[in-house]
Amino acid sequence: MRAGIGLRARHLDEIVQHAGAVGFLEIHAENYLAGGPALRKVERLRRDHALSVHGVGLSLGSAEGLDATHLARVAALVERLQPAFVSEHLAWSRVGGTYLNDLLPLPYTEESLGVVTRNVERLQMALRRPVMIENPASYLAFVHSTIPEPEFLAALATRTGCELLCDINNIYVSAENLGFEPGGYLEALPAVAIGEFHLAGHARKDVDGETVLIDDHGSLICEAVWTLYRDAVARLGSRPTLVEWDTGVPELDVLLGEASRADREASRAMQA
Amino acid sequence: MSAPGLSALQEAFRTQLLSGEVPELSSVAGGRIPAAARLRIHRHHVLASLTAALAATFSTVEAVVGPEFFAAMAGAFVMKAPPAQPVLSEYGADFPAFAAAWPEASGLPYLADVARLDWALNLAYGAPQVPALRLEDLAAVPPHELPGLPVSLNPGVAIITSAYPIDRIWVLSHRPEEAGDDPVALDSGAVRLLVFPRADDAAFVALDAFEAALAASLLEGKALGEAFEAAAAAWPDADPRAALGRLLAVGALGLRAEMVTDP
Repeated sequence: MRAGIGLRARHLDEIVQHAGAVGFLEIHAENYLAGGPALRKVERLRRDHALSVHGVGLSLGSAEGLDATHLARVAALVERLQPAFVSEHLAWSRVGGTYLNDLLPLPYTEESLGVVTRNVERLQMALRRPVMIENPASYLAFVHSTIPEPEFLAALATRTGCELLCDINNIYVSAENLGFEPGGYLEALPAVAIGEFHLAGHARKDVDGETVLIDDHGSLICEAVWTLYRDAVARLGSRPTLVEWDTGVPELDVLLGEASRADREASRAMQA
Repeated sequence: MSAPGLSALQEAFRTQLLSGEVPELSSVAGGRIPAAARLRIHRHHVLASLTAALAATFSTVEAVVGPEFFAAMAGAFVMKAPPAQPVLSEYGADFPAFAAAWPEASGLPYLADVARLDWALNLAYGAPQVPALRLEDLAAVPPHELPGLPVSLNPGVAIITSAYPIDRIWVLSHRPEEAGDDPVALDSGAVRLLVFPRADDAAFVALDAFEAALAASLLEGKALGEAFEAAAAAWPDADPRAALGRLLAVGALGLRAEMVTDP
């Protein structure tokens, strides 16, 4: 399968004219739950394109469990669109009935693993299909974490039967912000569980005189992330790969160019 | 000190992200970047992304007050009434009331009405598509059945009234080239706007007092004949046929479910 792109509102009308230009299209579930013209356009697009439904608001890391109303709405959307892939994040955003609209970090403990396992199982039951869980872009870690993140994800995949969405840019961003070696992280991921790659650009921000990488999906994919992508494909094999762009979304051609490059980089890595 | 349980940690995060300051959270590791600075990154994202979501929904309000003022107002709203669920186009039902009560906006008495118009357009945009009642449909109904016809406003159709020319303010904000050179006269009189969904977006038209009364009666659940009588009692000189025609022309009317499912 050739690389896909994240579908953004400003490209909706143009992409209809480009059937077959990309391997697949990813939509954010929460942007289409209120219905309206955008959802009707996506229903037309799905005739010509494989779809991926990417949730950003299920809050799989919430200790209080999943929001039953939201879960039912996502399940109805998945039922309606019958996408090729469904994915969500290893993160939380909801507590005490408040939705914080950020992919917030989890301490990696046995307690958290139990919480996320229950929530992923409930999600997969509601959807009646396995999902992919994405590694987060991290800005902080907890002193009481006891399980390295790739091992936490591997254990989640083993316990729930979920697959993993390996976001290469997130590994790079987290490695810079938390100070670990991205190659070692890739080595620790279970190859057999990985179902998809994500690629995106990030920003460099100055925070109190120190550089922090911000996962804003607002620029071209950087060379270091392309290198890490080739390493990942060489080690894990090729997988459906998606290019995301969310901040300052450019012309469609720019996204199509990044998707083409992802195909070339994957071929190069497989031949090496 | 023992490590916090996940529930307690998540509660502590909420308090920190939605309060004015970011105190120390001892379970967050620091290192090269202090823990408080790391937490600020999340706090910034929560505020900035929810402000952007409100700006998308209340785009006329943002155009009227400018991005800086809007960000201050949205930030205060987010702290007071954060979203309860993740569909951000459904966040902000209470923003018009907040705008009305926010002391910093007290010099802009029309702002809450502008916000109500933005919210109504937002609801109309997301409304499900239903078949609109057409003039031909009414012509096919036996005349003696017309007064009892359970005509209703379609999903997403709303009436927004204001003492201020919020329709002109909307046009100036979004289509300045169509607004002409006349300044907005805030004392130009009350407006009654009918907001409705279209195939690809949502729109509004200005109604006269009779048309608005007719639409409001239908919205209350009155049958067609009763709605006409109620409106005509207040405006005996109005042209009921023309008024009905205007509501039908924008696809605002439908039949209530009990009629549609009746075999």
